[in-house]
Amino acid sequence: MNILHLSWMFGRPAKSRMAPQILTASAYAMVSAILLIVLGGAYSFTSFELEAQGTYLPLAIFAVVLLVVPLLVLGSAAARLSARSNDRALSSLRLLGATGAQISLVAVLQAAGTALAGALAGIALYFLAAPLASLIPFQGAPIGSAIYLPLWVLAVAVAAIVLLSAGSAAAGLRKLVITPLAVATRSTVPTPSWLRAVICIGGILLLYALFSNMGQFMQSIAAIIAVIAGGFGLGLLVMNLLGPYLVAKVGKGKLRKASTPQQLLAARMILESPVESWRQVSGVAMASFVAVVGGSGAALMASPGNEFGQGTWMEHVPADIVTGVLVTLAISFICVAASAAISQSASTLDRAPLYRGLNRLGMPYTTMNAARTKSIMIPALTASIGFAIASTILVLPLAGAAVLLQPLTVITVIACVVLGLLLVRTAISVADPQKLLASRE
Amino acid sequence: MLENSLGHPPVLDARGLYRSFGSTTALNGIDLQIALGQSLAIMGPSGSGKSTLLHALAGIELPDAGSIMLNLPGRAPVDIQGLKDKARTKLRREYFGFVFQSGLLIPELTAEENVAMALMINGVPRNAAIASAGSALAELGLTGMEQRRIGQLSGGQQQRVAIARAQVTGAMVVFADEPTGALDSTTGFEVLDTLLRCTVGAGKSLVMVTHDPNVAARCDRIVQLQDGQLTSDSLHPSNAAKDGAQQ
Repeated sequence: MNILHLSWMFGRPAKSRMAPQILTASAYAMVSAILLIVLGGAYSFTSFELEAQGTYLPLAIFAVVLLVVPLLVLGSAAARLSARSNDRALSSLRLLGATGAQISLVAVLQAAGTALAGALAGIALYFLAAPLASLIPFQGAPIGSAIYLPLWVLAVAVAAIVLLSAGSAAAGLRKLVITPLAVATRSTVPTPSWLRAVICIGGILLLYALFSNMGQFMQSIAAIIAVIAGGFGLGLLVMNLLGPYLVAKVGKGKLRKASTPQQLLAARMILESPVESWRQVSGVAMASFVAVVGGSGAALMASPGNEFGQGTWMEHVPADIVTGVLVTLAISFICVAASAAISQSASTLDRAPLYRGLNRLGMPYTTMNAARTKSIMIPALTASIGFAIASTILVLPLAGAAVLLQPLTVITVIACVVLGLLLVRTAISVADPQKLLASRE
Repeated sequence: MLENSLGHPPVLDARGLYRSFGSTTALNGIDLQIALGQSLAIMGPSGSGKSTLLHALAGIELPDAGSIMLNLPGRAPVDIQGLKDKARTKLRREYFGFVFQSGLLIPELTAEENVAMALMINGVPRNAAIASAGSALAELGLTGMEQRRIGQLSGGQQQRVAIARAQVTGAMVVFADEPTGALDSTTGFEVLDTLLRCTVGAGKSLVMVTHDPNVAARCDRIVQLQDGQLTSDSLHPSNAAKDGAQQ
C-alpha cells in the first residue's frame, strides 16, 4: 500500500472528521479567493500607463507579500489540525511500523489535498466575488473586467497555494510528536534573547528618525512610498520581536487581577506561551500598523494642501492609497480570523480529553470556552491597541496632521479595525469545545 | 447495608439501571445502594459496564432506564435522572468529587490553582479559594508544591492534587476511576491511603472502579459486574463480621 493510497484513506471526507475538514478547506478557499482577487487587482494595474505602473505594481506586490505570511501560518495550523483530527489513525500507523517520515508525508499530502480542494473552491469564490471586486476604483475608474486573470495565472496560483501549504504543513508537523500511542504537541518554551531587545530598540529609533523626517521625503510620491514601504518592513520586524513581550506583560497583569475561573485560566493560557499567543494574532498588529501608518500617509496625501500632478495619473494616487489601505486591512483581518479559527480548532481537538474530563468534573463548557476566547481576544486587543498607539507615536506629526486634515479617512480606518476585531471574535467561536467535540462523538 | 450506622438512607440509591450502546448492553437492570461513609469498589472484566455504572451514578451520562436518587444529609432527595444536563453539571461540581486515572489537571495552572478552580467555579472568591486550596494541599503532604505546575509534579503528587481538588469543595461522594492505575505499586498504595483517609475517614462515600483486587480489598464493599449485570456483592470480611455482630 503506497503513501498516496494511505493519504487518501485517512484524508478522504469522513463524518468523524467533517468539522475540521470543512473548516480547513473553507479557510484555504477564502485565502485563495482573496489571493486571486489581489492578484487580479495587481494584474489590472498592467493596463495603466507605464509611469503609473512603476508606482502601482510595487505596491501591489507589497500587498501580495503581506498575504503570504498569514497563508503560511494558516497552512501550518491546517496541517496540525489535519493531524489532530486523524490522531488515532496516525498513531495506529506508527504502531504498525510506519516510520515518522512516512507518517509526516501522509499528513503533508493530506494537508496538500485539503489545500487543493480549498484552492479549487477558492477559484469558484473568486469568480463569484470578482464582479463586486471589479467595482473597486483605481485611477478614477472601477477595475472592471481587468480583474479576471488569465487561466495560466489561476493554475500557477493554485499550485503555489498547494506548495506553500505543503511546506508550512511540514514545518507545522515539527511541533507534533506522532508516537505509536498518541499524537502530542511539543511544548517548548522559547527563551527571549537580549539580541531581540537590542534589535527592537534600534528598530524603533530608526523608525522614529525615519518618520520624524518625513517632511524631507514629501517632494515625490515615489520617495514617500519607498519610505512607507521600508517603514512597514522595519515596523513588522520590530512588532514580531516586541509582540511576545507585550503579550506576556499584559498576561501577567491579567493574572494578578483575575477573579473568575475563566479570567484565571485565560491569563495562564496566554502566559503558557506568549510567543504562540502572539503568533496567532500578529496579523492584527500588522493591520493596526498598516491602518495608522498607511492611513495617516494616505490621508495626508489626500489633504487639500497636497495636490500631486493635477490632470495626470498622479492625482488619483492619494485616493488609491486609501483604497489600498482599506483593502489590505480587510484582507489582513480575514486571514487572521481564518488562521485563528483553524489554530483554535486544532487546540480544542488537542485538549479534547481534558475538556471532556473537566466537564465531567463539573466545569461547564461555557467556562472553558470563555477562557479560550479571552486567551485570544486579550492578545488581539493588546496587539491592536498597543501597536496602534505605538504606530501613532512613531508617526505623530503625520498622524496628528491626518486627524486634523482628513478626519473622515481616519474614522473609516478605525472603524475597519474595530470590524476586523469583531470578525476575529466571530471566527474563533467555531472552536467552541462543546460544539466541536460534539461533532466528533 | 442500605443505611449507615446512624440510620441515614443510602446516599446513592440506583434502581433498574439499563444502558445500551447500539447492540451492546452496558448496564442490564442494576440495583445498587451505597451508604454514606461507605467505600465501594466496582470490579469486573473490560467491557463489563464498570465505567458506565460509575458515570451513571455520578450523573455524567444518563441511563436509558431506571432511577438514581441522591440523599445528602440535611438536603432534599434529588432524582438525578430527572435533571437536565446543566443541572447535572452543577450537581457534580457542588456535591461530587472525582479522581480519574489521568488526573485531569489543567496543565497551565499551578497545583494550588487547580484545586482552587473547583471552588472558584462554585463562586468562591479567588483569595479564599486559594487559601482553602493551600490548606487542602498541606493536609495531603504537598506543602511547598503549591506553585508548581502540573508537569513539574510526579504521578503520585499529581493524583494527590486531584484528591485535594475532589475534597476541597466538601463533596460527600467521591468517584474514582482507576485512581492508582497509572502509578507504581508503592505510590499507588500511598495514594489509595490518602484517598481513603480523605473520604471514608471523613465520613464521605467513595465509589471506585478498579481492576486491581488489592485496591478493591481496601474498600468496605466490592461489587462484581459481568455483561452489565451485578454478579456478586460482598462486604469486606472485617465489615461482614461487624454486620453479622450487629444482626
